[in-house]
Amino acid sequence: MTTQTTRAAELPDLPVAFSSTEERGWFAVFWDRFRKKRLGLIGLGVVLVIYAAGLFAPFIAPYSYRDQDLDRSVEGPSADHWLGTDRIGRDIFTRILYSSRTNLVITAAVVLSGSILIGNTLGLLTGYVGGRLDGAIMRVGDVFASLPGLLMLIVVNASLSPRVIEGVRAFEANVVDLGMVSSGFASYITVFAALSLFSWVGTARLIRAQVLQLRERDYIMAAQAIGAPTGRIMFQHLLPNVAHLIILQVSTGLGAIAGSEIFLSWFGVGVQPPAPSFGQLIQDGGGARTLRESPHLLLAPGAVVTSLMFGFALLGDAVTDAFRGR
Amino acid sequence: MGGQNRVLAILLGVLALLVLVVGGLSAGLLLTGRGEQGDTTSGTATSGTTDTRPASGRLRLASSDPITLDPHIAGDAASAEYIVEIYSGLMTIDPDLNIVPDLAESYDVSPDGKTYTFRLRDNALFHSGRRVSASDVKWSIERASSRGLQSSVGLAYLGDIVGARDNFFGTAKGVSGVEVVDERTVRFTLDAPKPYFLAKLTYPTAFVVDKEQVESNPRNWTRKPNGTGPYKIREWRVNERLVLDANERFYLGAPKVKEVLYELAGGATLTRFENNELDVSGVGLQDIERARDPSSTLGKLYKSFPEFSISYIAFNVTSPPFDDVNVRRAFALAIDRKRISEVTFNNMLSPATGVLPPQLPGFTPSDKTYQFNPDAAKQALAASRYGSADKLPPIVITEVGAGAEGRVDTQAFLEQWRTILGVRVEIRQTDAASFFADQDAGRLQMFNSGWIMDYPDPEDILDLKFHSGSELNDLNYKNAEVDDLLNRARVERDPQRRIQLYQDAEKKIVEDAVWLPLYFSNAHVVVKAEVKGWFEAPMVIPRLRFVEVTR
Amino acid sequence: MTQYALRRLLWLPVTLLAVSFLTFTIARFGPGDPVRVAAGQHADPKVLEQIRADRGLDLPLPQQYVRWLSKAIQGDFGESYQQRGFTVSELIFPRMWVSAQLGLIVIVLQFVLGVPLGLVAARYAGSWIDPVIISTLLFVQSIPILVVIPPILWLFALEWGVLPTGGWDGLIDILWIQGVIAIPIPDPHLWIPVSVMTLPGLAGVARLVRVSALDVQVEDYVRTARAKGLAESAVQFRHVFPNSLLPIVTVIGMSLVGVLEGAFFVETMLGIPGIGRFAFESVGSRDYDSIMALTVVLAGAFVVFNLLAELLYARIDPRIRLGAGTRR
Repeated sequence: MTTQTTRAAELPDLPVAFSSTEERGWFAVFWDRFRKKRLGLIGLGVVLVIYAAGLFAPFIAPYSYRDQDLDRSVEGPSADHWLGTDRIGRDIFTRILYSSRTNLVITAAVVLSGSILIGNTLGLLTGYVGGRLDGAIMRVGDVFASLPGLLMLIVVNASLSPRVIEGVRAFEANVVDLGMVSSGFASYITVFAALSLFSWVGTARLIRAQVLQLRERDYIMAAQAIGAPTGRIMFQHLLPNVAHLIILQVSTGLGAIAGSEIFLSWFGVGVQPPAPSFGQLIQDGGGARTLRESPHLLLAPGAVVTSLMFGFALLGDAVTDAFRGR
Repeated sequence: MGGQNRVLAILLGVLALLVLVVGGLSAGLLLTGRGEQGDTTSGTATSGTTDTRPASGRLRLASSDPITLDPHIAGDAASAEYIVEIYSGLMTIDPDLNIVPDLAESYDVSPDGKTYTFRLRDNALFHSGRRVSASDVKWSIERASSRGLQSSVGLAYLGDIVGARDNFFGTAKGVSGVEVVDERTVRFTLDAPKPYFLAKLTYPTAFVVDKEQVESNPRNWTRKPNGTGPYKIREWRVNERLVLDANERFYLGAPKVKEVLYELAGGATLTRFENNELDVSGVGLQDIERARDPSSTLGKLYKSFPEFSISYIAFNVTSPPFDDVNVRRAFALAIDRKRISEVTFNNMLSPATGVLPPQLPGFTPSDKTYQFNPDAAKQALAASRYGSADKLPPIVITEVGAGAEGRVDTQAFLEQWRTILGVRVEIRQTDAASFFADQDAGRLQMFNSGWIMDYPDPEDILDLKFHSGSELNDLNYKNAEVDDLLNRARVERDPQRRIQLYQDAEKKIVEDAVWLPLYFSNAHVVVKAEVKGWFEAPMVIPRLRFVEVTR
Repeated sequence: MTQYALRRLLWLPVTLLAVSFLTFTIARFGPGDPVRVAAGQHADPKVLEQIRADRGLDLPLPQQYVRWLSKAIQGDFGESYQQRGFTVSELIFPRMWVSAQLGLIVIVLQFVLGVPLGLVAARYAGSWIDPVIISTLLFVQSIPILVVIPPILWLFALEWGVLPTGGWDGLIDILWIQGVIAIPIPDPHLWIPVSVMTLPGLAGVARLVRVSALDVQVEDYVRTARAKGLAESAVQFRHVFPNSLLPIVTVIGMSLVGVLEGAFFVETMLGIPGIGRFAFESVGSRDYDSIMALTVVLAGAFVVFNLLAELLYARIDPRIRLGAGTRR
């Protein structure tokens, strides 16, 4: 949690390193800078490889994630089980592949739950429209922001999630099975939708500050003068000029979100066993004593998660630098 | 702008230096300090007021905070662990699991089995020195079953006494079924002959508390309760430690261990045990092999004891497809419990042989449960009115826990149901609160659960969980034969015949496959060689006074 | 400035009211209730029903909220359900204090170690030193705490036996040498939690300082200083260093709140009686009064700390105008 707050605080000071007079679009400029950063590219590569492995897990994995062999409990790496087996003789390598699939689901759930959307929309809206609406939204934001994050996560998960998931489960049992419960999607999206209710205000403030500056610019004034509708000004003129901020947040935030899967599974958020997730694998292998007896149970998934997080961190760093013009 | 910033910078710099110097210095000292720990002139003292070093007559245990030290409210084992040492009641259970008089010296049962007369010991004293009188007993029973106390277990143990229910539901004040005959004699009248009544009296709900203390300090008296048991509280720092002192005036003789230290915080207990921070520690799955190796250091200190508890998978017999006994049987026949418990729990649990756990009256070692038999399982499913796996409705098994607390054995069962029966079962993990809510509402189709015996009598499990009229029968199970057997056992005065009735009921219940009994649990502990007489009883009973520490 | 602070503080009760209402609504929406959880395997519905009624848990929710509110205003947060016979305040404040002590040490260390690292990285921007420092720190930050604690415990507690496996025994121990000289040393229980909490946070601080130092490097007054012919070391120490620290003040304000929230995983895995673990258990046992008290206290602390950080920031950097950006 600390790292997330640090990151959020880092953003408000960003100078905008792109002037609107630049001939090429900001993205081209950004991409030019980004692709010169070796560490950033490595990071991107690591993330892509791990997620691709997850996406194609059914084709790559030598076993099914639920195949058990009670005669081969907790074995070390061998020719037919590259990373060994767990307590009921399931292939760890396979379970890691499927875990990155689960981790992909969380990313999708986060994007769709509106974690990113709400803050940006409200930031645009309050910044541009201003007035009472601005004041009101910002006050509400103050209230939400003051709620303790971890505690709210626990409360929401114990309280809202069971209700929502029961609803989705009933829907899937009676109408059509979309796999939303079994993949953990329903569970993640509930938690993140609720959490984004409490955390949009940081983003909104950031976007709003940017918009406050932008709306004094000539072209916005001009658009207003010719009577362009508010919606069009917001989405055609303002949004492109804050898009880089949004990308920046996403690239720095996704790593933290992917990492949060590990502790979310502690609270039972996400897929239900026997479908694996990194969090479950790490918890099964955790404990100082398990480590002494069978270190692969912790170290194998631990290494993959660390690589994923490191990949995200390098990526985020490179993106930040590229935006800042370095 | 320089001035203030420089101050800030210098401040931070100094702080940095300070931390580094102090940190480095103390790290060095710490390591050297460790090196000469045997030397009495050097060593670290803890910040607390209590000495935690090993000493003769001092027992060091790891535990968790009691939820309450009020015996009349407590319904959990963690609280009972302390309460049975601090308080006492008319009856207790001895280490051999006999129900014996405690505060009472003797008792008589009337020929109709409805009246119990207890004679109190002359030397039964509160910690304060005041003598325990019959009116203390009456007052305590009335308090435990009173409406104001809101105890969720009060009626479970005292509800058989005439008037206790009225007292609880507020229709009467006091319990008419408890009479003070004289200073030393108290008489209980029951609503029917209940052969297990004495067993119920051993539970904390029936313990005696000091009226004067409770009334003078109703809010905080449990912080330093004036009990009648072999130990009294010296210090309780929530989340840190709880210290008990021996009660030298205990009516059955002063305990040999003078001081018992419960560490309430801290990490892995076995590591602390190996670091000589604790005298007793449980042994977990990861260490069991090491502990079982008789040649290892740990192996010489290892002991294991059976416990009065069973874990099981329950089927809601009115919820499809478990409304068909053949489906339930198929599920029971299709899992290899023995192998799975061997692999997942390393034989730390014993595969259940029925519903009644070992040492409980009525237990027989012969295995009454369905044995792993894939072919019979398939046949049973085919014989059911669903006929085949694809005609079954969706099945969800619910269990308490999340992530690391989730059970790996359930996943193994799932896989066997899938491969052998071709049935897809989904796991649903919840927290305890949601689980109870669903269980009470009868919304669970199939769930993982357990039962811990409260008193050593088969009634406590068979009648409570399987009688169709019991409030705790959460599976809608109704079998007229079973009900009849249980009804007869309730009033049967001949112990032998009574046990036989329960055994017959158990057999029927297992045949009906209402429960899929999984395991009986065992306690696995290591105990320092200096600690003599330590034992783990199958249920919470007073035991500290039987222990001795010499070093 | 005083006026601004007062205006913000006036909002505090309104914020807390909204916070408590929100928490109440969400917490009560879910399944389960404290009476049932406390009853465990003895759940006679009639008995539980009466207990609920006697405790007012069967009243309409709005009425229960008003009841809670009227007591809370008088400073009475109610009784705990999970630790009977204790008031909520008796339970949460000692735990918050434990978490706060641990957290404060961690914050101080993070800044004490992170700031120099960031400055060094900025100083050597362009050479190999900068990326090595930053990516090493990023790597350390990438190792999840659940992955790193078991190996540390295994090494230090099990294999070498030099550190306790967990627990809490205050901050300071006294080391007696020959029974004469008393040296205060940090309690050995602190080493593992403090290091696993400090190290991952270094990356954040160092990067922040680095970026801000790089920005300062090109500011006019730094150029002027160089142009005046001031030695580079003097430029760095007198101008770049102090001004790079500005953004940190805001971050400190943010981190302070996190401190009160506790470090759930570290507390859980190392058996430290802090507030994070307690919060989790409160929700598990549906200890409504504890949940409410925790949220309200933490939200209040958040508002106050943020305000303090803002005031401090404005004091250090006169360019900041408080209240700016609301409406002009």
